[in-house]
Amino acid sequence: MPKLAPVVEAPSAGGLNDFESLVQQHRPRIFRFLIASLRDREAAENLTQDCFVRAFRARDQFRGGSTLGTWLMHIAANLVRDHEANSRLKFWRRKLQADVDPNDLSDWIPDQQKSPEALALAKEQVDAIWRAAANLSERQRTVFLLRFVEDMDLLEIAEVTGMKEGTVKTHLFRAVQSVRLGLEQRK
Amino acid sequence: MNPHLSGDEISKYLMGDASPREAEHLRDCAVCSVEVARLESSFAQFRGSVRRWSDQEEQISRVREVANMNYETHLERLLIPASVDLPWYKGIVISVKELIHPPKLPPLEVTSKPVKLASLKGLYGGHETTAGLGSVIAHVGVVALLLFAGTLKPVQRAMKEFVPLIAPDLRPLQPKPKPEQSKGGGGSPQKTAVTKGELPKIAPKSFVPPIRPQDDPKLAVNPTIVAPDMPNINSPNFGNPLAGLGVPSAGNGIGTGIGSGKGPGVGPGSGGGIGGGVYKIGGGVSAPVPVYRPEPEYSEEARKAKWQGSVLLAIVVDENGLPQDVRVIRSVGLGLDQKAIEAVQKWRFKPGQKDGKPVPVSANIEVNFRLL
Repeated sequence: MPKLAPVVEAPSAGGLNDFESLVQQHRPRIFRFLIASLRDREAAENLTQDCFVRAFRARDQFRGGSTLGTWLMHIAANLVRDHEANSRLKFWRRKLQADVDPNDLSDWIPDQQKSPEALALAKEQVDAIWRAAANLSERQRTVFLLRFVEDMDLLEIAEVTGMKEGTVKTHLFRAVQSVRLGLEQRK
Repeated sequence: MNPHLSGDEISKYLMGDASPREAEHLRDCAVCSVEVARLESSFAQFRGSVRRWSDQEEQISRVREVANMNYETHLERLLIPASVDLPWYKGIVISVKELIHPPKLPPLEVTSKPVKLASLKGLYGGHETTAGLGSVIAHVGVVALLLFAGTLKPVQRAMKEFVPLIAPDLRPLQPKPKPEQSKGGGGSPQKTAVTKGELPKIAPKSFVPPIRPQDDPKLAVNPTIVAPDMPNINSPNFGNPLAGLGVPSAGNGIGTGIGSGKGPGVGPGSGGGIGGGVYKIGGGVSAPVPVYRPEPEYSEEARKAKWQGSVLLAIVVDENGLPQDVRVIRSVGLGLDQKAIEAVQKWRFKPGQKDGKPVPVSANIEVNFRLL
């Protein structure tokens, strides 16, 4: 990459020196979080790009207080919040997003060597969780996805979302309760 | 052994926020651990699905991206080029600068050259004249055909059958203004009704009543009444030619006319003219215009019954603009008629006019009662 050399070698915080490999490393995770939050591949792609652009622009502000992944996820969570705020105005778009068929997701259940019954059951459950997650508020969904898809613990989530740990607990608790309710109703 | 975990506690455990007591209970209690394991497996399924799905989607987007661009320009594409990423004020400065000192552009290098195309000449194979003449003949022929067709009888007849629609003249059908129907009335206040006699002279204005003229007036004025032409009789005294005989009297009305009415006319009405009644709107009589109209009150009964409607009243607006002789034509009931009359009696009008003079005019008034 001869053209980008000055940028890449610019003195900045730790892992940000090699931006290309940083993108390679963190992109899947950011993209996963965004697409699960937004259920829209186009928007998730755009926001993933935005996330790395923002990170690149603000690379001087990264002090290494948290891990790079947490920092990027923080940016992504902010982007999701902005996006939701914007699309609240465009309610037709929001409706369009809500119309995404959650059956898409249950086709992606891992370990396909299950018995048909178990597979059907798993499909049902995934479907129920996906539907319930769709009805959560933006904050609850973010917290829920961070906990159960990204496997973050409560402190990490607090750092990513910029909320206090108590607030995270409240949101996560409500999210889990709604999702469990969705699972119960499905039975 | 501790009691089983509540739903809230299970949720807390799933969140990763379980107390040591709850964790311990889960280790020991089969029922609770089964429940938690079931939920955890559901969440694990969900996690796996989301991951697989997003991986797949990412593959798609990555494939598209790679197809679209060179891998090395990844970061370059993310960033807006510096030439575009100028703050707006710098853009304005540059525009103004360029306006004053247009930047000298390098001389235009024409890299293309004119290409000689095959000539159109010879495309008609030397038949240009024939083709031109043929075209002229064809056009002239078409025009001549159209003109000739216009002279043919059947065509002309067909054209004549074409009837253009013209807006009909509706003037004779329009309603004619009603001829003036001024009703008259009058009479000097006397006990007896009007007797038969000669009508006084008819004039546009009545100064002297026909009965009881002043003795020895300084300026003698013939008594007149305001009335249309009507049959008259010869009689020593004034009276109504259509009335019966009796003691000479100009009637028991008020005013300077003859009869039981009011005003300078003849008969039981008011105002000028002959007959009963007052002037009606139209035929030179303008309508009275209300200038002060207080709203009618609602009667208590009607308010309770949520009663609505409109009362039609007939009134006579006198020369002073005061409503007289208020009568109900269409009633609504429940005390609203009375309220309407009360209100209309307080109204004041600019009186109707005939020939520029205020005259009493009859009018209908609709009083609406609406509950909000």
